[in-house]
Order: sequence, then structure tokens, then C-alpha cells
Amino acid sequence: MIVAERKPLDEIAEMIAPFRKVAVIGCRSCVAICLAGGEKEVNMLVSAMKLKNRNEGREQEFDGFVLERQCEKEWVKEVEDRILASDIVLSMSCSLGAQTVGDMYPHKIVVPGLNTKMFGVPEEQGVWSEKCLGCGDCMISTTGGICPIARCAKSMLNGPCGGSSDGHCEVNLDIECAWYAIHERLKLQGRLDLMETVRPPKDWVPSHSGGRRVLVREDAKLTQHQKRGEEVVE
Amino acid sequence: MKGRIQVVMCRLCSTGGGVLDVDALLRIASDAPNVGAAVVVDRLCDKATVASLAAQAKDKEVDRVLLLTCPKNEVSPFVYQTFVKKARINEFLIDSIDLNNEVVLPHRDDAQGAQAKAEGRLLSSISRMARLQPLERKTDEMRTKNVVVIGAGISGLEAAGQAAQRGLHTVILEKTGREVKAPGVVMPESKVVSMKGEAGNYVLTIEAGQKRENLECAAIVVATGGDWSDARGPLADKCRDAKPLYRLRQAVDEDRVPTGTVVIVDTPDPKGTRTKVQDYAWDEALDCAMDIKRKSPSTEVYLVFQEMRVSGMREIAYKEAADLAVRFIRYDRKNPPRLTAKDSGRLELTDLAQGEAVALPFDVLAYASIAANPDNVAIANALRIPLSPDGGVRRGSMQRGPVATPRPGIFVCGSAMFPKSESAARAEGRAAGIMAAQYAGAGKTEYGGSVAETDAEKCSACLTCVRTCPYEAPFIGAAGKAEIRLQMCQGCGMCVGICPSKAIDLHHYTDEQIAAETTTYLRGDF
Repeated sequence: MIVAERKPLDEIAEMIAPFRKVAVIGCRSCVAICLAGGEKEVNMLVSAMKLKNRNEGREQEFDGFVLERQCEKEWVKEVEDRILASDIVLSMSCSLGAQTVGDMYPHKIVVPGLNTKMFGVPEEQGVWSEKCLGCGDCMISTTGGICPIARCAKSMLNGPCGGSSDGHCEVNLDIECAWYAIHERLKLQGRLDLMETVRPPKDWVPSHSGGRRVLVREDAKLTQHQKRGEEVVE
Repeated sequence: MKGRIQVVMCRLCSTGGGVLDVDALLRIASDAPNVGAAVVVDRLCDKATVASLAAQAKDKEVDRVLLLTCPKNEVSPFVYQTFVKKARINEFLIDSIDLNNEVVLPHRDDAQGAQAKAEGRLLSSISRMARLQPLERKTDEMRTKNVVVIGAGISGLEAAGQAAQRGLHTVILEKTGREVKAPGVVMPESKVVSMKGEAGNYVLTIEAGQKRENLECAAIVVATGGDWSDARGPLADKCRDAKPLYRLRQAVDEDRVPTGTVVIVDTPDPKGTRTKVQDYAWDEALDCAMDIKRKSPSTEVYLVFQEMRVSGMREIAYKEAADLAVRFIRYDRKNPPRLTAKDSGRLELTDLAQGEAVALPFDVLAYASIAANPDNVAIANALRIPLSPDGGVRRGSMQRGPVATPRPGIFVCGSAMFPKSESAARAEGRAAGIMAAQYAGAGKTEYGGSVAETDAEKCSACLTCVRTCPYEAPFIGAAGKAEIRLQMCQGCGMCVGICPSKAIDLHHYTDEQIAAETTTYLRGDF
């Protein structure tokens, strides 16, 4: 899922300082699950801002609520009144939600309350780790199911490098060396020959390096008839 | 829906010995919204008084009762029972506040402050109380009447004996292979691996020798015991010959009585972080000091301590020891005893009574430290019962449940809590055995009341509650949303606090109810 973290209170306060009516919009999906922008976090932020404003003698009105998924227009549309009634929108979702609201209401100023961090896996309560960069061409079938693009600091295709020591990465000794992990996994599976296979340079075009990606699935798109809610005409 | 409240003040327990103005509190309560009746009684825990209060409750058609009395776990159960039986009040709509401890004690020299706080506390409780809903208690049949005792030591055997005497099938788990004579089944070389199920219908997974088996039981007694520790702290580290008290005791028992000067200090670790001296260690230290003096009157014995406590009639030992010329030195916590140099044989400390620094030369240095049983951690994890910071199993309230853990059906006795003398361990073992037998003998378990409930609409099935709950109560149900197994829920509120979607409420502690209480206390300034 997408993992995000709330921005420091001072930074949030500064972004919304010039505005009186603030709509604080959370999201019940990824950012709720990673404890950053769900209903509880929205309520807590509103309370914290009220306290801060009182201490600093500022007056602002807050309207805090959460959407099922802020990255989907239908859900955003449901709260259009409350968005339009505000002077500024503080989005407590990942950047996708903030941009969805911003794109739908271009006259509204939408600011992010969270920093979107990564595609992460909850390892335990309160710990998330990055395991995918969304390169667009998954290769983990050849690396024992462990992604070296995301989990190796150098995104090496043929590792490990000389900085691997005792299974740790020289960049940060708290991080495990992805290629060490790959070696151990392949050994366990009796597929160590894959370590010897040279992986040719990767085509990075399907990744972000090829520019902004837009995925179009013709098979999934609705026909003109379906869009109007009419029956499918063969 | 808001209910009508009967406010009852106990003059004996809620006035702080005349510090609080009860009449003013009574006026405030009477004028408060949702209060149907407000009365002061001389002593709440008097049967006739409670009966008349219950009659009044019925008369005035109130449906909930707020008691201003002693601490919640000290209110006699019959007070609650009378209101439930005679006035048909829902048992979860009777609540109490303890003004003595909450208000009077912290404001001992400030009657005005105490009164203001008491008024706030009263009004805030009334406003929360008015928003409570009646709750239900449900019952389950117990599948067995087994009582499992963990540990075949002094207290464990007493407990098993009591349970067996009451006709219950007892199983004793003993970690060693030693032969134990006890009623019921004894499983040598066995330990608890994990536990499933809920109160009254626990299923223990037990490892006995090479085998693993499941054992259903209705009640469990934890009697794991404790032992002397060889732990050395900074003080002992600086003195090669320092020895634990029990070693000194062994030597004295074997008539190898030390000569010269013997110093017994309370802890090997001045910060008290690693081991802690318990009251029982002082029993031993006093006995040991007196034995030394009796066997070798010319040996000087000093007891150096920060705080010394022995309980009950044992206090007479202080005088006996003093008569035998055992010397007591109480040191200053800020200036704990230390050696002048490594292996110097001189202890430096500040004597609190004299208010001066003392340098104490010694020939033998003994330290008293008793560590909790290290097995407690694994057992507490398996049974999901809390431990105290010292590593002992924590019991419930001293008044209402001195041998009960917070989990229903699980009892604890003897040195499993903290080190105890043999007689105390025996007494607790008996108590725990009787309690376990009563619990298991009832054949029915109760659950429900102030427990958590999920809102499927808000739940995003994020698993946070499932991961957080110490009792494995939440699970993701067939609908793909979190649900609570009510039998497992202990009403601790952890899932409620952590749920990112605010999809869980704890009955009687909902946001609205807590907010009403807080807002009223702060006089709306929130």
C-alpha cells in the first residue's frame, strides 16, 4: 500500500495560516491503515490545530471529515459542498488524493498534510518497509521474489556490490543487503544458478524515467453506450 | 436518551474527614440536570441504608446510581447487588467516584481547591453517567471443571489440595522431574506453551517431555514461585568477596559463622533497576543477622538499608534484633553506599538518622536480592496476564482480589507475585485454590458489559486492532470487517484508541461520553 507520514504541525500551520475556513479531508484507504490520515488522525490534527491557534491567538474554523478513497472523483464529489464552503483544503491523504481534489476544483487551494513516502509493507505495528518502486517491468521471478530495484540502494541488477558486509548494506548498516537476501533465498530454493545468470541492462522506459505514465486499458474502458447507462449494443 | 440519576454520598468515605462541604456538593448534585435524587448517608456499606436507598431509587424512578464513596474496587459487592435486585437498576449503570483519593489527598492543605475539584468531578461524572446505556451480561457454559495449577511448590500444592478437596479435577504442571505427591494428576517436566479460548473455557497447550498436548480447563492457578538471585550490581562488582544473602545464610546454618564485621546491604544495585529487595528479603536478613549474633555474639552485624519493611507480627523482630545488638543504618537515597576503593573493605554512606557520613569497615559484605522467576515472562505471555516491573505476576486489587489476576478464572499465589515467606505462600495457595474451585465449580462464565464493538461501515479491515489486542478478541469476520469475540474482550480499550478509522467503540467509554465528562469538568471550555 501507499505509506505516508503526517507533516510537522508547524509546517501545516504555516501553509494554512492565511486562511480562515479550513477543510481537513482524510482518506479511509492506505493512509488510514498506515495511521497517517484516517478519521482518527484527522480529528487529532484538528484538535492540535485548535490548541495551537488558541495558544497563538489565531482564529480559524476547521471542518474535518474522511472520504472512502480520496483519489476517486465520485467520493470527492459527495463532499463538494464542504470543499466549496472552505477557503483552503488540507488533504490528509497521499498526494494522489490531494491532486484529485485539486484537479477537480482548480480554483481551490489544496495543500498536503502528509508526506507520501513509498509503496510499503507493514512489517509489524508501526513499521513499514519499501519493497517496490513501481518500475513497470517486474523482474522478481529471477531474484528469488526479492526486488533489488527497491531494496538495493543502488538498484543493482547483478549484485551484490563490494559494500555488502555481513548481510548489511554499506549505505546504512540497519538495512539488509538486498542481494545478500536474494542469495540466501535462492540458496534455500536450490536455485543458486540464478546468481550466475547475468541480467542485461534494464529497459527503464516503462518506469518513471520514460516520463509521466498513463495507463489505458481499452478492454476495461466503458463504451459510449455503457457510459450513458444504456444497455450494451453488440 | 438520557437517564435519571440517583446521587448517593457516603459521609464516611467521601468527605475526607470533614475537608469537603458535603451540603454544598449535595445542593450542586440536586440542581444538576438528569439527577432524580441526591442524598447523603452516614455509611453506605450498611445493609439497612442500602436497602432504603434502593427503595428510594424505585420510588423516584431513577435508572442509574452514582456513588460518592471509597475506591471502586473496595465498595462492597452487596451495595451493587442490592440496587440491582431491589431497584432493578442495570448493574452497569451503577458507578462510583472516590473523592478521598482523587480530590482530598492531592489537596490536603487546600480545602478550597479540594472543594472546587470535587464539584467539577461530581458534575462531570453526572454528565457522563446520563449518557450511558444499559448493558447486558451474557453467560456461557463451561465445558470442563478442570483446575490447572502451574508449579508444584509450596503455594501450588496448597492450591491443588483445596481445589481437589472441593471435588474438582486438578492437574499440576511441574517444570522439574522431581517426584511430587499431590491430589489429581501431576505432569512432571511440563510447561505451558500457549493458551487459547476464553474465560472459563481455556485451552492450554502443554509441553510435557517430548509430547505436546492440549488441556481444557475452567480455571488456572499460577504458582511459579521465585528464588534468590545471584545477580551482582555495581557495589558487589567492586567487592570480590561480596555474596548473596542466601549464601551467608547457608554458611551460618552450617555453623560457619563469620567473625569480624558483617554488613548486609539492601540491594546490589543502588538504582534498583536490576533487582529489587522485597519485604521477604528483610525477613531473611533479620533472621540471618540474629542467627549470627546468637551463634557468635562478638561478630558485629550491620543492616544497611534505604527502606526496610517486614509485615505483621514480624515487626517484633526489629526489637529482638536490636536487643541482640544488630545495628541498623538507614542511608540516604541520594547518597547510596559505595566502596571507598575496589576491594577496600570500607563502605561509605550517609547515615540518615545521624545526618553524617559514615565509613564502615567490614569483613563480609552480603546483599539481599530476590529476582522474580524468569519463567514468569513466558507464562504471562502465554496466559496474557500482566507482570509487575519486577517481573512478578500482577494481581488484581488487594482488597477484592489479592489472589486474582485481571483475567477472570486465572489466579496467582505465593512468590509468583513477589517473594514471600512460607506461611504467606501457604495462605495464598489456599486462597487461590478456593477461588479457582469456586470459579470452576460455578459451571458458567459471564462476559459482556463494558466491551468493545466495531462499526462495519467504518472499518477498513486494516488489521490494526487484530495486531494490537493483547487478548486476541478482534478478528476479520465473514463480511471482511473486524468483529470482536465478546468472550475474549477485557474492555481495555486499546483497539478503540488505536483504530485509525475510529470504527471501534468501548461501551460506556465512547468519545461522546468521555467528551461530555471532560467538557463538563472544564466548564465547557474545551
